[in-house]
Amino acid sequence: MSQFISLLKTILNVNFGISALRYRFTKEKSRLWEPVLIGLSIILGGGSVISLYTWFLQGVYKGGQILNSPELVLILALLACQLMVFIFGIFYVISAFYFSNDMDILVPLPLKPYHILASKFLIIVINEYLVTWPMLLPAIIIYGIGMRPGIAYWFKSFFILLFAPGIPLVVVSTFVLILMRVVSIRKSKDLMVVIGSLLGLLLGLTVNYFVQKVPEDNPQQFIQDLIVSRADVIQSIGQRFPPSLWATYGLARQGSEGWMYFTLYCLISLVLFVFLLWLGNLIFYRGLLAEQEVTRRRKRLSTEKINTEVEKASTPVKALFWKEWKLFLRTPVYAMNGLAGMIMVPFLMLMPFIAQEGKIKALLMQARQPNFLMWTTLSGAGLVLFTSSINIVACTSISREGQTFWISKVIPVPAKQQVTAKLLHSMAISCLGILVTTTVLGIVLRLSLLRLFIIFTLCLLGNLLLNALNLLIDLLRPKLEWNDPQEAVKQNLNGLFSILFTFAALAVFAVLTVLLVKAGISEWIIYAVLGLVMGLLTIPSTAALYALAETQYKKIEV
Amino acid sequence: MLKINNLSKSYNRGAIKAVDHLNLHVKPGEIFGFLGPNGAGKTTTIKMIVGLLNPDEGSIIVNGYDNQKNPIEAKRSIGYVPDTPTVYDRLTGIEYLNFMADVYQVPPNQRKERINYFLEMFDLTDAAEDLIKSYSHGMKQKIALAGALLHNPALWIMDEPMVGLDPKSSHLLKELMRQHCQNGNTVFFSTHILEVAERLCDRIGIIHRGKLIAVGTLDELRGGEQAETLENIFLELTEQ
Repeated sequence: MSQFISLLKTILNVNFGISALRYRFTKEKSRLWEPVLIGLSIILGGGSVISLYTWFLQGVYKGGQILNSPELVLILALLACQLMVFIFGIFYVISAFYFSNDMDILVPLPLKPYHILASKFLIIVINEYLVTWPMLLPAIIIYGIGMRPGIAYWFKSFFILLFAPGIPLVVVSTFVLILMRVVSIRKSKDLMVVIGSLLGLLLGLTVNYFVQKVPEDNPQQFIQDLIVSRADVIQSIGQRFPPSLWATYGLARQGSEGWMYFTLYCLISLVLFVFLLWLGNLIFYRGLLAEQEVTRRRKRLSTEKINTEVEKASTPVKALFWKEWKLFLRTPVYAMNGLAGMIMVPFLMLMPFIAQEGKIKALLMQARQPNFLMWTTLSGAGLVLFTSSINIVACTSISREGQTFWISKVIPVPAKQQVTAKLLHSMAISCLGILVTTTVLGIVLRLSLLRLFIIFTLCLLGNLLLNALNLLIDLLRPKLEWNDPQEAVKQNLNGLFSILFTFAALAVFAVLTVLLVKAGISEWIIYAVLGLVMGLLTIPSTAALYALAETQYKKIEV
Repeated sequence: MLKINNLSKSYNRGAIKAVDHLNLHVKPGEIFGFLGPNGAGKTTTIKMIVGLLNPDEGSIIVNGYDNQKNPIEAKRSIGYVPDTPTVYDRLTGIEYLNFMADVYQVPPNQRKERINYFLEMFDLTDAAEDLIKSYSHGMKQKIALAGALLHNPALWIMDEPMVGLDPKSSHLLKELMRQHCQNGNTVFFSTHILEVAERLCDRIGIIHRGKLIAVGTLDELRGGEQAETLENIFLELTEQ
């Protein structure tokens, strides 16, 4: 047991970077603002989502009251939370059990397979709390305040919160353990990242579709009506996944019946967990070790083939540019994060047409009116600029090199040329985004080619400015120490700075536009002034980028 | 070929002196072995020569170029292989070599010949079209070696090059080092394997606590006592 406790403590420490944080708090005090900023952003961003969700749950609660089953809000929250854990848990479990870097260290240690499995499982559970608690707490509080069920309710709620991710995760883990005995998915690791990201996108689109469906006048009434008319569906889904019902009844029913359901829920969670450990002890290592075996194509290359492959000599900038592209596209987490926004936004733009035709048609008619075309073009340009520049490409350009940055330091290519290749790569991706969104805009708004060209040109200039600034951010504070490519893009503060920069730039351009319009300047001159300002601002920003490139490349020690 | 003058580097705001006023002169055409206990300053010195770390003071002249004042020319003269071969693992072997040939501006005819030569020599032809991430440690080491030699560098620098290589590749590497010097180039490498240094190096430098404590041919280091092995000399010098 002491072995297990010590393992769990170490894994917890590594997973949540406790020692690293302690080091930062005691030794690197100058960088203390980083975790504070991250915390603030999470509170601000998460807070707004939670308040929207709470508002939605209040509608559900009222709907449930009409049907005389106020516990509907609990069923829905528990169901949604457990379904979420179930779907995304598959990827989480596979990556924690089979792909984590520390397995090479843990497996040779004199530990039982179930020790490792249990510690990994508990880490996942703790991580899942970050999702399940914000999903469950509002429902528990709404029901608790509304029904006043007494102290036992709050006591039981605490345990329900603790056990919430348990059952779906055990089911998923069991499935994964068996799956890994049968098939090898190491080769499909990249594919999993893509599928996971697409699932995330799909969830985003579904939520967006639902939000579009909600009428603007009295939206909570709409949710109430929806719940009243669809309560049977929720109940029947709940019956197919009974733990949600047990947990709900455990909380909502009074007296011994409530306690019985509560005990049943907790007991089943524990029994299933023990079962998982027993199964893990039998088959976990076999699947894990099978995954370590690497297969390769091993196709002998003929001299002719090699000669044709190496014939195309390039300039260093061209070689660096194509290297950036290959690494970007072949690392799914980069490609998905860099391109997802561009794929998603046009879909989001089309969503209102699918969800609610009438109102949008009227709006479109107005947008196409000749006296409104200037605003349509300008807002279109703003939208395209926003969607094409919100990506992680430029602001993680150097960070993504990670431990391979030594190559950039030793090759005889001036830092200016290396940065040029990165800027060109970021611009190529931005261009892709501009083209896609401008095309959708052209189709939806039926803008003339001239206006589309203006949007394209303004956005191209705007992106050049923003990409140069974003690259500059990464040049000044690259995150080169990471083990998994995810860390380079998802746990990189530069992404947040980049978004702030983009918002600031958009705000400046919006204010400038309004001022120009108010001054009574004609439409075409406004476009010209905006283009000129963007172009002029690009000069100092790229100049700063190039001026700092040499010194920063020299300064970064690896 | 390589002149190190009064080179110093410290960490933790001067608290730890990794390299302490180091002076060294490596002549063209020689194989120079750089020895020292763990943490003696070998890797720090090498990293400063290739431009990965900035010296606190002193200068490094590579092939006549000061690596602080003319870094690009100095880098063009160097082929560097680090101790851990972390290369772009999502490129194929052939793509990596082609990339290195491009950035070192190796002319097309020469690159064809040399890429074929190294792939064949290191037994990598079969794996050339696979992503590097599927390679074993030794294969990664070999692709990094090939990438560093494509431009036939005047100064070939390696940090612990034998680690991870199988006996055949290790033998090949030693042959390659000799051959490289016979062509008028210079090899500078760090190692813990004293037998390799003893048999291969024209001259040996021993660094300890950031200072160069001995330098010369094996005979010079023996100081006339023929029975002395390099291991004995090393232990005597570094345990003082």
